[in-house]
Amino acid sequence: MSEYVLELKGITKIFPGVKALNNVQFQLKPGEVHALMGENGAGKSTFIKVITGVHKAEEGEMFLYGQKVDFKGPKDAQAAGIAAVYQHPTSYPHLTVAENIFMGHEIIKHKMIQWKAMNDEANKLLKELNADFTATAEMGTLSVAQQQMVEIAKALSTHAKIIILDEPTAALTRRESEELYRIVDKLKADGVSIIFISHRFEDMYRLASRVTVFRDSQYIGTYDVNGITNADLIKAMVGREIKDLFPKPEVKPGKEMLRVEHLSRTGFYKDVSFDVRAGEIVGLTGLVGAGRTEVVESICGITRADSGKVYLEGEEVCIKQPSEAMEKGIILLPEDRQKEGLIMSWGLGRNVTLPTISKYAKKGFNDEKTERELAKKLLEDVDTKAVDIFQPASSLSGGNQQKVVVAKALSQEMKVVIMDEPTKGVDVGAKAEIYGIMGELALKGYAIILISSEMPEILGMSDRIIVMCNGRKTGELSREEATQERILELAMEKGTTNGKGAK
Amino acid sequence: MAGKSGRSINNVPEAPIKKMILSWEGILVVLFVLVNIFCAVFSEFYNLKSLLRQMPIYLAEVFLMLPMAYILVLGEIDISVGSIVCLSATMSCIVCNTGAPFIVVVLTGLVVGTLCGLVNGFILTRFEELPPMIVTLATQIIFRGIAEIVLGSGGSISATNTDGFRLLGGKVGSVPYILFLVVILSVVFAVVLGKSTFGRRVYAIGTNRLTAYYSGIHVQKIRLIIYTVMGTMAGLCSLFLVSTSYGANTTTGNGFEMDAIAMAVFGGISSTGGKGNLAGGIISAFIIVCLRVGLGQKNVHAQVILLILGVLLIAAVALPNIIGQIKRVVKK
Amino acid sequence: MEKKSVFKKITGSREALLAVILIIMFAAITVVSPSFLTPKSLMDMLKNNAVTMVMSLGMLCVMLVGGIDISIMSTLALSGMSIGMLLKYEYITSPVLAFAIALLIGTACGLVIGLVISRADVPPIIATMGFMYIYRAMGYLVSNGGEWASAKALGTFKNFATSKLLGLNCVIWVIILCYVVFFVFMKWTRTGRKIYAVGSNANAAEVSGINVKNIKMLVYVIMGFLAGLGGALQVSIYASAMPDMQQGGEMDVIAACVIGGVSMSGGRGTVIGALLGSLILATIAKALPLVGFDALWQNTIKGILILVVVVVNVVLQRVADRNALKGREM
Repeated sequence: MSEYVLELKGITKIFPGVKALNNVQFQLKPGEVHALMGENGAGKSTFIKVITGVHKAEEGEMFLYGQKVDFKGPKDAQAAGIAAVYQHPTSYPHLTVAENIFMGHEIIKHKMIQWKAMNDEANKLLKELNADFTATAEMGTLSVAQQQMVEIAKALSTHAKIIILDEPTAALTRRESEELYRIVDKLKADGVSIIFISHRFEDMYRLASRVTVFRDSQYIGTYDVNGITNADLIKAMVGREIKDLFPKPEVKPGKEMLRVEHLSRTGFYKDVSFDVRAGEIVGLTGLVGAGRTEVVESICGITRADSGKVYLEGEEVCIKQPSEAMEKGIILLPEDRQKEGLIMSWGLGRNVTLPTISKYAKKGFNDEKTERELAKKLLEDVDTKAVDIFQPASSLSGGNQQKVVVAKALSQEMKVVIMDEPTKGVDVGAKAEIYGIMGELALKGYAIILISSEMPEILGMSDRIIVMCNGRKTGELSREEATQERILELAMEKGTTNGKGAK
Repeated sequence: MAGKSGRSINNVPEAPIKKMILSWEGILVVLFVLVNIFCAVFSEFYNLKSLLRQMPIYLAEVFLMLPMAYILVLGEIDISVGSIVCLSATMSCIVCNTGAPFIVVVLTGLVVGTLCGLVNGFILTRFEELPPMIVTLATQIIFRGIAEIVLGSGGSISATNTDGFRLLGGKVGSVPYILFLVVILSVVFAVVLGKSTFGRRVYAIGTNRLTAYYSGIHVQKIRLIIYTVMGTMAGLCSLFLVSTSYGANTTTGNGFEMDAIAMAVFGGISSTGGKGNLAGGIISAFIIVCLRVGLGQKNVHAQVILLILGVLLIAAVALPNIIGQIKRVVKK
Repeated sequence: MEKKSVFKKITGSREALLAVILIIMFAAITVVSPSFLTPKSLMDMLKNNAVTMVMSLGMLCVMLVGGIDISIMSTLALSGMSIGMLLKYEYITSPVLAFAIALLIGTACGLVIGLVISRADVPPIIATMGFMYIYRAMGYLVSNGGEWASAKALGTFKNFATSKLLGLNCVIWVIILCYVVFFVFMKWTRTGRKIYAVGSNANAAEVSGINVKNIKMLVYVIMGFLAGLGGALQVSIYASAMPDMQQGGEMDVIAACVIGGVSMSGGRGTVIGALLGSLILATIAKALPLVGFDALWQNTIKGILILVVVVVNVVLQRVADRNALKGREM
């Protein structure tokens, strides 16, 4: 019997064009909670998918209880007692909780599904987890926290010995997080080994005994949680001093460009007020689901606010469509590049010029020559690593895709640029470049709103920081007063109420 | 702002000639020639003159294919057009029989069609969650249902004053008016789809509706316009249909929506949205028209022609997919 | 969790709501025309709609995985016409054999469609549109270019639809049998639940080891099987076989499912819903002449009903979403 329940050596996973994992290793001791940390795009999620058999590694070996294993697919990993709870629950929204838990290993007698036995068993599992819903509830009606609980119940129902939790607390309020900590403690007491992926240092200190850090697809090291300082850990994750990463120029804020007063939308956010001045970068942060994206979507006319006012350069504006927002000079660079930001199968040039084609069209017909010139100029301005303007957006890496999204905003005169999670899934090098562009935009007098969940980014780039929690603005900090602890406190301040309200 | 690395990005397009030969449209042109050779061999009556004489009946459907291509590029579908044809043919016959001037009859056909299209467009944009398939399924039943009510128990009407329709079915030399109109409208629709900002936006919506919306495109306005134009063109189709049959009945236009979709899809316009162009659609429409004329001359039953059409349609969509799958397997 | 009131339960469940609507319709029609609610009239109604009712079960499966099949009535015509011609020219005489052949042809047709859709990735609407042409034309070819098989030619086969078993018409027994089998199949067997799983989230189904392609093929095979059954029933009930029978009837089947709450995008829908949907359609067809409407109005009313059902659905969903948001504390 080996010292480790799970050991991986020399794992290399190559996707077309990128090495997602480069010779990484990992060891999991029996009954421990092992944190896996690293920036977005460091390779954590890919690594998890290698363990669970979703991806097959090109190189490397995996040992389970000292035995070499080779998973052909997710089913093999499941049979071997490995279960994963993903960040976005992979459930069947139309089916009941019990069915979701037992999908693939239903309780069968005489070839018939035993609903009563399954519901009883599921209710038993849910009770152990202290869930506030029953096995016959429809999955689609549950909150994210409740869905995660179902996923954990599913892992328990397969009697998994190794459970992987992929950023489980990212969307949870404080109370929900506490509940999760309790469940993890209980699992640990039952002898289950747990791999815990998280961005939050708080999670790590509370739960884990050891931590492994990945950076840029590589293994950096494994440390005892008690034996490493916060600063050393950040350095291991980021790989350089924070100062170098954020080339924030000193800009003296000019006149007020955008002011939002008492903006409310039922069920999404309530009474949000703030302003942005020319040349200023305002960070908007909070937990996932705090209502940040929803607020800016209303400013840009994607959704409608129920009440409240928006002023652009001192004048009240009423924006009903994204096209109106752009005409007036406000543009939103959405969070999801693949679904909202770019048309992945289109060439870069056409993507860049999409918002402005009518501006230089002649009598309604496209002026393709001007279009190509403009696309070339803008793509070169943001320093896109591309061969020509005809290659599809899907052929670029995440960071370069984001640059194309930024170029879309530059194709016309803008006053306010709103960037929603601009560095999500972007490697460190490209991140620095995007921050550079952001700084240049500020120098040119754009008012910038930066939405981000990443603490270093918010701290490093913002002149002012607005923190939201559960749909409300809970605080505003200047660059000087902002610290990680202070922001987290504000972000979780009102996190004691459950998102779904009274049951 | 200048790029720091000074990297230069190419923006000179490839020569279009090479692309054209290997494209689906290129294949279709070859197929068009082959079909004509086949028809000429198969039927001793098949020549330009007989083609021009017999083609008007089949050409009316091309009017439907043109806007249907837009709807397919949007990634949507409209299966109510056959019923719109039926309703506007019925209404224009009724108006014609009241002795109204022919221009009023024409306007009736077009306005009824446009209104039907507007109804589709209004419901689909007001309740954008609804799948177009279901909405147009319902309106398909409704539009034909209204025609059935209007036609009464006899189920048919014939135009008593056929002068106007006869005029519509006229010719310049031996070339029928409808062919001119089909060619002109084909060029207009193809150019708008391929070269205008409107067309670019239609492709954007069909490929990624969310991105299009975030990029400031009026998605719902464009959808409304297209469904309405679909209705207008169905009205136009109905007028030319009446000009060959001098009447309408409850089965007028039955299955036309399928023919229009088949022409467009066979022309390389994907029903999942964002792919294909009208050049392909128009060539495939003429392939089908020629095939119908040629086979019809030797009294091959319409069903057999539909059989061939069905096989071609499935083959046109399935073969590229199968070839792609084989390529992937071979690569591995 | 507090107990929901009975009222809430009814308005919350699609099936209960439809059942209430059906009962109200029954009551209203009976008041206007008492002859409606007699066993004979009801049996006639079921018999005349047997084909649609049976085939909506197949359409339920197809729509559950997010597909659509508009070729079903062509499959029906092909299988029905084939046995019609076999009986007419006395290649076969046994009704049992005729049924078996119809089922076999239907299943084979469905298998081909399923293969094209699941293996060659042809969009269901395009593939079934193509096969709608192909099978209809094959039915026509089988009929020697448009011959009918009339009542006389069908021999004892047509007696199936007129004979009774335990006081009920055999056709009605077939309907009952189909619905019972499907109710059990969709609710209690693993394969049935896999159909729901694929429709609800195909990616998750793939990850949990379900062969999505095979399930997608299976639903078209089931649909084909039922279309074959529909062909045999059609020929037997109407005591004739012709190549253009039930043309356009696929829309009725789809309409029955949509009214019954089956979602076009997959994942949602039940056997009970399909039953109620097709019963409501059947009742409307039967009732219109009874309550004094001209039968000409039937299609328009049917179409408006479908439209109302789907629009009301969307509006209710929007209201529900809004209410759920209002309950959110901030």
